Amino acid sequence: MAATTTQGKSFTVFMVGITVAAAGLAFSASGIGKVALVAGLAIIGYSFFKFFLIKPSEGAPAEGKQPAVLKLAGLVLALGGWLVVLLGLHLTPGVSGRMVSTLLGLAISLFGILVILPIAANKNAIWKA
Amino acid sequence: MRNSRFALCICAMTVVLLAGARVVAHADPAPSATASELKDAAAKAPTTATLQAGDPGGTATGTISDVPVGDAKAGLTLGDVANQVGQNKIGVNFTWTLVCGFLVMFMQAGFAMVEAGLCRVKNANHTYMMNFFVYGCGLFAYWILGFAIQMGGAAGNGNLGGLQPLASEHTLSLFGKTWGLFGQSGMFLSGHTYDVGVMVIFLFQMVFMDTALTIVTGACAERWKFLTFSVSSVLMGALTYPLFANWAWGGGWLSQLGTNLGLGHGYADFAGSGVVHAVGGLSALAVALIIGPRIGKYNRDGSPNAIIGHDISAVLIGCFILAFGWFGFNPGSTLGASGAGCLRIGSVAVNTMLAGCTGTFGALLYMWSLKGKPDASMSGNGLLAGLVAITAPSGFVNPTASAIIGFIAGVLVCVSVSFVENTLKVDDPVGAISVHGAGGLWGVISVGLFADGTSNYGGAWNGVNGSVTGLFYGDASQLIAQLIGVSTLVGFVFAFTFAMNWVLDIVLGHRVSAESEIAGLDLPEMGQLGYPEFVFAPEPEYLMAAKKVALAS
Repeated sequence: MAATTTQGKSFTVFMVGITVAAAGLAFSASGIGKVALVAGLAIIGYSFFKFFLIKPSEGAPAEGKQPAVLKLAGLVLALGGWLVVLLGLHLTPGVSGRMVSTLLGLAISLFGILVILPIAANKNAIWKA
Repeated sequence: MRNSRFALCICAMTVVLLAGARVVAHADPAPSATASELKDAAAKAPTTATLQAGDPGGTATGTISDVPVGDAKAGLTLGDVANQVGQNKIGVNFTWTLVCGFLVMFMQAGFAMVEAGLCRVKNANHTYMMNFFVYGCGLFAYWILGFAIQMGGAAGNGNLGGLQPLASEHTLSLFGKTWGLFGQSGMFLSGHTYDVGVMVIFLFQMVFMDTALTIVTGACAERWKFLTFSVSSVLMGALTYPLFANWAWGGGWLSQLGTNLGLGHGYADFAGSGVVHAVGGLSALAVALIIGPRIGKYNRDGSPNAIIGHDISAVLIGCFILAFGWFGFNPGSTLGASGAGCLRIGSVAVNTMLAGCTGTFGALLYMWSLKGKPDASMSGNGLLAGLVAITAPSGFVNPTASAIIGFIAGVLVCVSVSFVENTLKVDDPVGAISVHGAGGLWGVISVGLFADGTSNYGGAWNGVNGSVTGLFYGDASQLIAQLIGVSTLVGFVFAFTFAMNWVLDIVLGHRVSAESEIAGLDLPEMGQLGYPEFVFAPEPEYLMAAKKVALAS
């Protein structure tokens, strides 16, 4: 199906929504700003609803379904490794201790990104068919 | 009688003397030497009659007469001259920063040519259009929201007049320290941020932001739905990039690692190996993982097929355009050419050139020695990898270190491309993940290793006195600060981008249909072929087989 007028209109609604929401945020101290923020977020939500409605008309893409649990696990490891780094900064005051905790956290994040997520992405890859 | 007459004379003389002294005390003070010098110089300035005769040598143009006088009655004063000196300093810095920003903006053309050249001809229009429209998407998102998040609390830059309107940073108090999170001043560049200095920093930072956004289009080329690319780019320009950029450059917590925890000078990233390139490269990895490989990229046994680009001349010319634009990227990051160590712009420019050169050598020699040919596209990627890697350390290292950093980046990009393609099984048509992701992270780490402590940008960096110094010159804590930056890029920025695009995949879908992909995205997505008069050559055998499988499933 590819690009259509419906896509164009939905994207226009999205851009209007994000502009109104940002304007509302910029003037959120005033009453009208708050109204604009809520209206903008509602318009963005509506645009996403329209996107979801037109998605099936695109046609089937050449990709297999990626297991959500595995993707979530990879994400959690990526984020968790970063949190280990931040925690380590406060638990270990010395240079050596902070180096160790930083490298450990980095390793956890990289494991999630370079091992778990590619496994999830390729589990049902189209080229395996 | 005689005595009283004498006394009377003495009294009279005393009175006269006292009266005279009072007159002298109340008289106007004699003009100071400076004021009289200024008056003399003003008197000697060329007259209108002299200037009307023409000034071919330029010796009569630009004199004391051109200094604005604050009070016409008082005439030219030292204060007037000092004010003009201040204006000149800021004017020079504004001009330098803006011209460098214009150069970086032109890099969009370079990216477009490199990416389109590495894609097949049936996707040329779509690839060029992604690089064209990402400029608009990013700029608009940055104007309405992103700039405020990134720079809303960045006041205090003396090079650009202080940027005092940008004085609103949201902070968090944790473990007895205050940490910056994101700014708020500057949305729509309205109100008090409608300021000459703010305009300059907005333009300069915006073109950096757009570089990060355009990187993602390369990794997802030939199968990314134009609608989803547009929405994803707007969100990246509004949220993802500005958030990390605030933490590094906008007074946020990464830059405060030095002042708060004594870790070197905090996360130091002179021109954006991390902020721009690693953000772009890791975002590219996130979306490429979600979107999947192109039809025919991998065989059933997992071995990859080379899908050749259609125009190597565009690739290499695009690389030169990028290298040219990089002279704005790195030297421009001094944000001035006058004061506060800005004369180091020459060193920064030379460092940039050298790293690009040795990056090319690293990649070319690797490919030639191990694969048998001096591969053109990898040589171009080697140049870019060297430039990406030197971006962070360019203001802190010497030429020798620059050459080493660039060479390692050139070799690294070849290893990384193979790793991403063969081990991760992630399809990246242009090598964006390796050039910008791997190269960018290497650049961030190299600051912590090679910064030599000779730079002096106003006596401090990130609020810590002294020069940025790496491990090889005696400061291991700087390396830790850099590694924390790497961890934030890998752990937070990647995760944030992945999560955001995962939602977009559920709602919009990132990938075009199999039919559109096989036909080429130019007609279904853009309605027009990139080269309508070309006769397309038949595609290789392995692609024909893969198409049948894709359509059947």
